[in-house]
Amino acid sequence: MDMLRITNLQKRFGDKAVLRGLNLSVPEGCIFGFIGKNGSGKTTTMKTVLGLLKADGGEITVNGEQVVYGQTATNRHIGYLPDVPEFYSFMTAEEYLAFCGEITGLTAAENRQRRTELLELVGLKDEKHRIGGFSRGMKQRLGIAQALLNSPKLLICDEPTSALDPVGRKEILDILLSVREQTTVLFSTHVLSDVERICTDVAFLNNGVVETQGKLSEIKTRFRREEYLLETASDDHLAAIIRAFPSMEKADDNQLVFCEGDASVSDVMRFMANEGISPLRLDRMEPTLESLFMEVTKK
Amino acid sequence: MRSLIAFTKKEFTDQVRSGKVLFLGILFSLFGIMNPAIAKLTPWLMEQMADSLAESGMIVTSVTITALDSWMQFFKNVPMALIAFVLLESSIFTKEFRSGTLILSLTKGLNRYKAVLSKTFTLMMMWTASYWLYFGITYAYTVYYWDNSVVRHLMPSVVFWWVFGLWVISLVVWFSTLRSTNTGVLVGTGGIVLASYLCSMIPKAAKYLPTFLTDGNSLIYGLKEPDEYIAALIVTAAMTLVLLAVSFTIFNKKQL
Repeated sequence: MDMLRITNLQKRFGDKAVLRGLNLSVPEGCIFGFIGKNGSGKTTTMKTVLGLLKADGGEITVNGEQVVYGQTATNRHIGYLPDVPEFYSFMTAEEYLAFCGEITGLTAAENRQRRTELLELVGLKDEKHRIGGFSRGMKQRLGIAQALLNSPKLLICDEPTSALDPVGRKEILDILLSVREQTTVLFSTHVLSDVERICTDVAFLNNGVVETQGKLSEIKTRFRREEYLLETASDDHLAAIIRAFPSMEKADDNQLVFCEGDASVSDVMRFMANEGISPLRLDRMEPTLESLFMEVTKK
Repeated sequence: MRSLIAFTKKEFTDQVRSGKVLFLGILFSLFGIMNPAIAKLTPWLMEQMADSLAESGMIVTSVTITALDSWMQFFKNVPMALIAFVLLESSIFTKEFRSGTLILSLTKGLNRYKAVLSKTFTLMMMWTASYWLYFGITYAYTVYYWDNSVVRHLMPSVVFWWVFGLWVISLVVWFSTLRSTNTGVLVGTGGIVLASYLCSMIPKAAKYLPTFLTDGNSLIYGLKEPDEYIAALIVTAAMTLVLLAVSFTIFNKKQL
């Protein structure tokens, strides 16, 4: 079943159409990377799912229930971490979680148990200072703790790692990985290495529509174009090869890139053997998320 | 109900820890002490100024101070106290809009109307406590120094001013749901109060306007009877309730 399903979502701000018929389905139990450039509509989509913004058209269901703007009952299934979470700075982390627990309707015993577990999980157990003095990374971790407090079925994180240093980033990604058993995670990002590290599914957002979505591994296979990189000892060798295979392109000093379609690898190797050219390197190139992203958003 | 209590508790914790309770307590106490103090010092001040007043043709004879002078000071200073209160508290919504802290509470399942209700309740409680502290201090000193029996209709006059303060708070709440910046709230609230003052220059309209309730002096001197304030009181109370009801509706639809 899909934990989150968005059908033909539309949203304009003034005369600027931010979402133009966005479709997205997030299967239960996955870690879903929602990838797009800055300003592509990631935050708008998430805020609409949370009922904080009113959609101009389209339908959203969370756990099979329709999302209603304003009084949003579906939020009880959702834990939300905004891009720059802000808390009441006059509270301590524990007081804040206790407050969230009361708001969300946990019993006193549940509340105490959950907040002890979560403070442990995000490493803020011994932090007795008020939130006003927290670093960004600490706030981000507290943000995850509050988002997970009511054991949500869907955890939505808006660019959780983009403002963090490498250590903070790793901590957040590790936490997201560790909660995968209990909750479906949807997180938006433009940091592709984060996606590669933890995501099972991805969607590429561009110009207000989802260009491509699916399992990360499947998407990689679908976009794999038998691409090779060939490096030789000198430019003369390279020139000889290009003369024989005019469709090849020089990529760098002593390097060229070609696709299986342009020239078959066995032909190239035969030619090189006949000419006595020995390669320094012949690599088959794996598509990176970056190249995928470029290709998808270029369309 | 538990979420309402939790959110209200949070508001009061904020009031205490941010120092607002302390600040308002000190401010309203100082204002409260000032009223009888100024009344008490008036003869001495007049004496000091007698020479310069004589030069301009005014002759100071004997100045008699009564409890009425202390209460006149009370009504003269309370607008300043209210302005200070509004300046300090008007960001109660907008600071949460700006920082996004409210979004987390709402996405945790807090009903929007409860946020408005908690904040309105907090503001009204803070105003009530500050105002009656101000009143209590002035009252204690006044009855100590003078005979308070010359004062007519004291309770109605101070209750009316308190109601006026509640009306101003409902304006703050209403503009907070309409506007997202503190400036917007202050300009809107100030604008409506000013409009009410200006309209009260129209003799026929005056007695129906909230600002009519601020005329405590006429009551304590016995120039007016409390009955004459009933129309303004009803209008003000009705406006307060309507403004709050409208605020709930607007806030339910506000994009955050």
